[in-house]
Amino acid sequence: MAALPKRIIKETERLVSDPVPGITATPSEDNLRYFHVTIEGPSASPYAGGLFKLELYLPDDYPMCAPKVRFLTKIYHPNIDKLGRICLDVLKDNWSPALQIRTILLSIQALLAAPNPDDPLANDVAEDWKKDEQAAIKMAQEWTAKYASTSSQ
Amino acid sequence: MSKVPRNFKLLEELEKGEKGLGAESISYGLSSQDDISMTYWNGTILGPPHSTHENRIYSLTIVCGEEYPTKPPEVKFISKINLPCVDEQGNVVPSAFDTLKNWKRTYTMETILLELRKSMASSANKKLVQPPEGRTY
Repeated sequence: MAALPKRIIKETERLVSDPVPGITATPSEDNLRYFHVTIEGPSASPYAGGLFKLELYLPDDYPMCAPKVRFLTKIYHPNIDKLGRICLDVLKDNWSPALQIRTILLSIQALLAAPNPDDPLANDVAEDWKKDEQAAIKMAQEWTAKYASTSSQ
Repeated sequence: MSKVPRNFKLLEELEKGEKGLGAESISYGLSSQDDISMTYWNGTILGPPHSTHENRIYSLTIVCGEEYPTKPPEVKFISKINLPCVDEQGNVVPSAFDTLKNWKRTYTMETILLELRKSMASSANKKLVQPPEGRTY
């Protein structure tokens, strides 16, 4: 395997030495471009109390292209589909090499705090959200308790 | 080139399959839209022309285990077919099918389906008598 670019080494070191509150990112032992990630649900959101597992991969073109990120924990959110794929501008068209793993994970945490049903990926969830926001929020809380509660993991 | 982890390779394959970006003569997708482990897949092969498979559509299941793509998936025909690399239960026998036998991690489910189709169209196999259309294992 080719040597790991300096930028990735630096980012990894900082993620470990100076972690973002509520977020962990640990490189896999056999593939330093592959990270196991956890994000705590933001306190003022339906995901509060949940610990969400994600996986992140830095493709060969990184940082010229965005990291690839996916939720492994089931989550009820209008911008995250049943396979954990995330609809977020900075992971697609708005990616810039000035962004980092850290900023991407913060953006995902912010997305949990501010679901955006007008730019949906999980269409059925987004529709529920727009039709009856209170019911959708309740559902998101239930899923958090069922699939992401720290006591069940 | 770094090694693309299993899940991200499968996501790439899924996207290609969903958008229909690959070959027209085959298709594939997840069996269940909420299979977060992306293990169970369906495939179809359109029978190649100028063979006894012409105008037939073959359904298959593909199981990508934990060790995919280091290890090849398990491939099984649902539609009955007479082909040397397929056993009596519809399983594609790895030792008889080069793509599985000499598997490389750069191969994809598309590779498998296209190579199976090629095998169906090969001069050795294209005239094999086939079971009546529509039968399943």
